[in-house]
Amino acid sequence: MQHSNAYTFRFAAMVTIVCSVLLAGAATLLKPRQDENKLLDKKKNILISVGIEPVNGENFTRSEINETYANRIKELVIDLKGNIVEGKKPSDLDPGKDTELLPIYESIKDGEISAYVLPVSGKGLWSTINGYLALSSDGVTVKGITFYSHGETPGLGGEIEKEWFTNNFIGKKIADENGTLVSINVVKGKVDPASEKAIHQVDGISGATLTANGVSNFLKEDLKTYEPFLKTIMNLKGGV
Amino acid sequence: MADEVKAVAEAQPKEKLFSKKNKRTLLEPFSDNNPITFQVLGICSALATTVQMRTALVMTLAVIFVLSLSNVTVSLLRKFIPSKIRIIVELAVVATLVILVDQILKAYLYDISKQLSVFVGLIITNCIILGRAEAFALQNKAWPSFLDGLGNGLGYGWILMVIATGREILGSGSIMGFSIIPESLYAAGYENMGLMVLAPGAFILLGLLIWAQRSITKTVHE
Amino acid sequence: MLEHYLSLFLKSVFVENIVLAFFLGMCSFLAVSKKVETAFGLGLAVIFVLTITAPMNWIIHEYLLREGAMIWISKSLAGMDLSFLNFITFIATIAAMVQLVEMVIDKYSPTLYAALGIFLPLIAVNCAILGSSLFMVEREYNLPETAVFGFGAGFGFFLAIVSIAAIRYKTRYSNVPAGLKGLGLAMLITGLMSMAFMLFSGIQL
Repeated sequence: MQHSNAYTFRFAAMVTIVCSVLLAGAATLLKPRQDENKLLDKKKNILISVGIEPVNGENFTRSEINETYANRIKELVIDLKGNIVEGKKPSDLDPGKDTELLPIYESIKDGEISAYVLPVSGKGLWSTINGYLALSSDGVTVKGITFYSHGETPGLGGEIEKEWFTNNFIGKKIADENGTLVSINVVKGKVDPASEKAIHQVDGISGATLTANGVSNFLKEDLKTYEPFLKTIMNLKGGV
Repeated sequence: MADEVKAVAEAQPKEKLFSKKNKRTLLEPFSDNNPITFQVLGICSALATTVQMRTALVMTLAVIFVLSLSNVTVSLLRKFIPSKIRIIVELAVVATLVILVDQILKAYLYDISKQLSVFVGLIITNCIILGRAEAFALQNKAWPSFLDGLGNGLGYGWILMVIATGREILGSGSIMGFSIIPESLYAAGYENMGLMVLAPGAFILLGLLIWAQRSITKTVHE
Repeated sequence: MLEHYLSLFLKSVFVENIVLAFFLGMCSFLAVSKKVETAFGLGLAVIFVLTITAPMNWIIHEYLLREGAMIWISKSLAGMDLSFLNFITFIATIAAMVQLVEMVIDKYSPTLYAALGIFLPLIAVNCAILGSSLFMVEREYNLPETAVFGFGAGFGFFLAIVSIAAIRYKTRYSNVPAGLKGLGLAMLITGLMSMAFMLFSGIQL
């Protein structure tokens, strides 16, 4: 079929307009729910990192996440010296500007703080990995860890989000007996249980050494920025 | 292929909804003219999502949705599309549908959309979709085009599901996320086959599947 | 700094080859790998187009589509988020670039056109090209990283398609079961190649 140029242009313009109206409509309509999903996903991962399980079934329902989160998690902001900044919430922070302030989450059980959750993030092999590290109330023992967004290869680096990997972190210690920060290292292969360092190490993922190195590095760096705060907790509890 | 297109194009206007020709249009892609194993289309995104059955299933549904709707749209527009900008108009239609799917997944199946990541977007360049639009929808009425899209989508889907099932059972010892290999077997020294989770596992399984299918249908190419 | 780019390049060529680890560009990989010469031509064309389109799409994403990207036009546009238009814009850019490249080559280098010409239209729908653009968004690369990644991914495709073409040429007269001839055998070879490329993942840089 041969058409004039004017017709071709008109047709192209029509297609463009129809497509963009359709897409803009769908995007505006679904945006609130998508944003809510992102927020819920973060809340869910904070809950999982401290070991809170869904009451019934395998998955959290949407309202269950919000409810449990509101009951169990207290959002706080601290400064680089480890002091709590009153009247601010993590959602108020602008990651570009507020480099002096850090978000932290407290898990409350029966009126007492049972865990501190720190957001951790950094480069893996390909992408920025985001996650939450939960420490018990002594500020040293790992209560759990989750990784909720990453672009690592499924089956290799992508395994970091799987339970078999994250479960290895539970019970490990981020500091030695003197309270000096050591962080947790993901080793290549298996941890040697006889080694003195075993308490600061977890098994690696075969074929994903570079992702594992990334995880080790950013855990160390993020823990360093939170060190002053963690020190105050350790002192409160009278050391390790 | 060409005969079939002609045959449907010349069909009488009063034709029944499920006439013989239409049925053939729908069913042929399942085995004799499967988009993956015979037309060699759409392998790109097909393999990447087959580590788990759940993602493969969602991917299949997304492709069926996009493929049948894009076929219908292109078929309805076939008398108006200027041939000079044919391809880009088809791409625009497909891309619009894919973005819709992506937005819906992000809103209602967030976890799965996270796992599929960029591969939903790659449906746009899935050769099946553009290939069917060019080869079938441009010459045929809306209803046969819809059936052609549906048939090809399902033909694509079952191959995807077979590979995903194989990879999930062998690679992770589970079906749809539920473990099926008993603990006693692991205790006896059985191990999940890591290779199946990785890329080579997908290639080799698909190779074997094509071999099996071609041996049964006795088709020899090249 | 140079090391960083070198390592990114090697990663995208070997460890995470766009065809053999991410399955992108499989269609043309299988369809155009029967002869070494044509595979060579397509491979070059892919390197060429990828190296141009990946940075192009990066610029478009960074300054037009990303959330808050249009702040450089005026402060009031800071809240705009057009990232849902990613797919359609990227594919349009790719199609337009391919067309442009085709015309430029046709005009200035007839010999190159004779070699690459027929492959260029094919490339617009090659998943490897769109895939690289989407990966660079997801992995949050900056401009030089994107350029290196684009070139690396293209080179990886080139390497993979030329080697499989050579292997398929060798196996053409081999005595294999009838059902395995052609596509089946090609898939098995691809699987083995994919395993071979994965061995590079042990390299530390």
